[in-house]
Amino acid sequence: MPTPATAVDWTAPTSAPAAEAGRTRLELRGLRKTLGDTAAVNGIDLKVASGESVVLLGPSGCGKTTTLRMVAGFIQPDGGEIHLDGVLASNASFALPPEKRHLGMVFQTYAVWPHKTVTDNVAYGLEVAGRSRAQIKAEVGAVLELVQLGGLAGRFPAELSGGQQQRVALARALATKPSLLLLDEPLSNLDATLREEMRFELRGLQKNLGITTLYVTHDQDEALVLADRIVVMNKGRIEQIGTPEEVYRTPASRFVGGFIGIANLLEGEVAAIDRVGGRVLVALDAGDRLWSRAPERWLAAATPGRRASVLLRPEDIKLERPEQPDQESGTEATFVSETFLGNHYELKLQAGGTLLRVQSRRRGTFEDGRTRLWARPGSAWVVA
Amino acid sequence: MSEISLSDRLATARPAVLGWRRLSALQPVRVLVIGLSLAILFALIAYPLILLTGYSLVDAQGHLTFETFEKAFARRGMWQATVNSAWLVALVTTSACALGIPLAWIVARTDAPGKALVTLAAGVSFVIPTFISVISWIFLAAPNSGYLNRLATGYLGFESAPFNIMSFGGLVFIEIVGVYPLVFFAVNAALNNVDASHEQAARILGSNRLRTTLTITLPLVRPAILSAVILVMLDALSSFGAPSAIGTMANFSVITTKIYDLLKFPPQFNYAAAVAMPIMVFTAISLLIQKYAIRAENFRTLTGKATPEQILTLGRWRWVAGGFCLIVALVTAILPVGALLLLSALSSFGADIRFDNLVGKHYALIFDENFAARASILHSLLLALATATVCATLGLVLGWVVERFRFFGRELIGFLVMIAYGFPSIAYAVGVLMGYVDLFYGTLTLILIAYAGKLLPIAFVLVRNGIQQLSTDLEEAARISGAGWLRSIKDVTFPLVRGAVGIAWVLVFSLSLRELSMSAILAQSDTQVMPTVVLQFIEDGAVELAAALAVVIVVVSLAMLGLIRLFTRKKTTAVA
Repeated sequence: MPTPATAVDWTAPTSAPAAEAGRTRLELRGLRKTLGDTAAVNGIDLKVASGESVVLLGPSGCGKTTTLRMVAGFIQPDGGEIHLDGVLASNASFALPPEKRHLGMVFQTYAVWPHKTVTDNVAYGLEVAGRSRAQIKAEVGAVLELVQLGGLAGRFPAELSGGQQQRVALARALATKPSLLLLDEPLSNLDATLREEMRFELRGLQKNLGITTLYVTHDQDEALVLADRIVVMNKGRIEQIGTPEEVYRTPASRFVGGFIGIANLLEGEVAAIDRVGGRVLVALDAGDRLWSRAPERWLAAATPGRRASVLLRPEDIKLERPEQPDQESGTEATFVSETFLGNHYELKLQAGGTLLRVQSRRRGTFEDGRTRLWARPGSAWVVA
Repeated sequence: MSEISLSDRLATARPAVLGWRRLSALQPVRVLVIGLSLAILFALIAYPLILLTGYSLVDAQGHLTFETFEKAFARRGMWQATVNSAWLVALVTTSACALGIPLAWIVARTDAPGKALVTLAAGVSFVIPTFISVISWIFLAAPNSGYLNRLATGYLGFESAPFNIMSFGGLVFIEIVGVYPLVFFAVNAALNNVDASHEQAARILGSNRLRTTLTITLPLVRPAILSAVILVMLDALSSFGAPSAIGTMANFSVITTKIYDLLKFPPQFNYAAAVAMPIMVFTAISLLIQKYAIRAENFRTLTGKATPEQILTLGRWRWVAGGFCLIVALVTAILPVGALLLLSALSSFGADIRFDNLVGKHYALIFDENFAARASILHSLLLALATATVCATLGLVLGWVVERFRFFGRELIGFLVMIAYGFPSIAYAVGVLMGYVDLFYGTLTLILIAYAGKLLPIAFVLVRNGIQQLSTDLEEAARISGAGWLRSIKDVTFPLVRGAVGIAWVLVFSLSLRELSMSAILAQSDTQVMPTVVLQFIEDGAVELAAALAVVIVVVSLAMLGLIRLFTRKKTTAVA
């Protein structure tokens, strides 16, 4: 291994990502793992490029942690392959031990060693790698500064708060400059305020260092902040891979639509198809006709009269008619309840047989408890 | 830079190194460790027990037969001994519960005075083995010559001596005093761990204190009571020291003393094995009950200490409860310990208790180099050192293997170890004798094998619990940092369980010092240990010497147990 530069400058953005952008750090091919009699991971294909931040998102039991632990080398897959930097790391018959994978990992429980000081915790990986004492000292100092723990180097973990232990765990994982950083729900043990703060800090670090990360969480907000790409998982399979915006605005399935954000689903029938514009006109069961974008494959097979479910996010439902609406007369809805939540009103309305959740800046006007709803132009989306 | 280097290194070295990588993924050291620990475990525990069963079921020609049982139990006095054992178990178990459960409740849940005294007394009577308390009670309650009897007839107007420790009733009493701490500590701990909110929820719904205690609290501590009952039964069934000392004098036998008799010259191994079988079967059934019936209802109610709201104000009953506590402390700890110390320094048993009758000659004789007692002290210390070291090491390796390796037969290790735990010492010693008599006859090694096999479970459970409390993440974090598994144990696991290993070492050391039933069977004339010499002194009527040597055992044990504080004080803060 060529000796790394002795000068440690963590804060400057690295040029490495630019030089090798697009290079595949991690590749999963048809990965499978059965735990007990359930298929915990059931055929996963994924490529993570250098410098990219990929978040595995899904409910508990969806296989995201199992996938991560297979990448780490703690679990051996039953089928498929894991390649790190283009080299086979695991398949059903072979598994490179975790210590030979040159990874960094932040555990949900932090796993900061209670019998070692902050410095000793962070230095451990460098010591194992056989670096010189001076080099270890310089690197540990730099990485502790990076996570803002410079003043606590001599403390024991028991003397630190949860948030500080979290930073120690992060520093320890970063110290060896791993080719891939794995994070297993690292923020789930922090309180809400700190969790929100750490999200942005983690994202900042990841971008500045250009470090490749694979991050597991069940928290959609965390995923939206941290991800270049989100991998939504359910029951051991991938439901969708996309940027946070794609996953939120154009979910590939009902599951994805419901798991990320709040989904209002209006049922209807296809009335007209605009293949050039990539959209269909849906006659809603609740009344009115609405132009809605749709996935390409669905659109290709669409015919008039086919049933369709239209997704509308709560913030995309308006109580006033927009200037250029995607619909004709507005959908009639009856008032159910209203809650004031500070920056907006949370309304529950009934349209046809469907209960809708609406976030509105204004209270809206109702006549006999009735009003007309309008979709924000361009926001409606057909879910397959 | 370093990011690329890994892939470069792997890519260039790929064809040549691939084979080696595959091999290293198998981790031969790991296989070796598992194999070796299983082999040792088999030699220590499984082999003697299989031999024992075999001898009782197979005749000299190698045919399967039940004849050995018939002949063994047809021997004179054998049936009576079995009945005696059954009575002993029944009486000791019910009495220990009747004493231990109310006492535990008073200490955990009331404001009775003297609670600390009871805990201390239970601790003391737990530390003192029954063959030692026999000495105290001979001093106090031997017919006619016992000092309590002399007090009663001489000063309190009794016409005849009220106490007789040299009787079956006396044996039952001594056994109760010896085992009630098991019930007391188990139930007390369980009561302390019952979350106050369980009881408060019942109170809120209108249940009064008594009803809450009966319908909520007691069912919650039932698993603890059942576990303690099983332990007490096994303890009473396999007890050897007190039955042997008292039985010789009062002329009755129990199963364990019969086994001992069968091994005296000429030894009759197959009869001894056959007589040990009922104890084995009873033990196996109890362990199964423990495993399935109790585990099934072992609710997780661990929280912490009793909160002030759970403490019952007794009012005027407070002093009744306090008096009860005081009597228990007096009878189970203060009197016996005082008697032991006094006797060890009294010029002779029966002499008046006066200052000028206190002498040091018994201690001088014990440490006299021309006397057998001194050699036994050295033997005991040597054996205790070796046993503690062997058990702590094996406990660490096995505990780690069971907790961290997923492999077929993992459960078998825990099962084997727990069998050794529940197994009556005397039967186990017969097995060890049969298995290793040719190799190690008349050596300390033979005794070491027996001690190590029997005490390993204690070390195993302690260390395993320590490892269980360590999140696997801590080791995995070391692996991810680049440490191989051996190094991850050295740097992370071992430093974190050092406290548990230390405690295990000390406990095993103390228990080795006082082990009698196996020593009695395995020790030969030049491998005597302290307990066997004490028993010999008692049977020879030299109770003053027995007391002096017993004091040495107790003092060394207590001093070692004091070391535990050292380990617990430095214990690293709890790990999630």
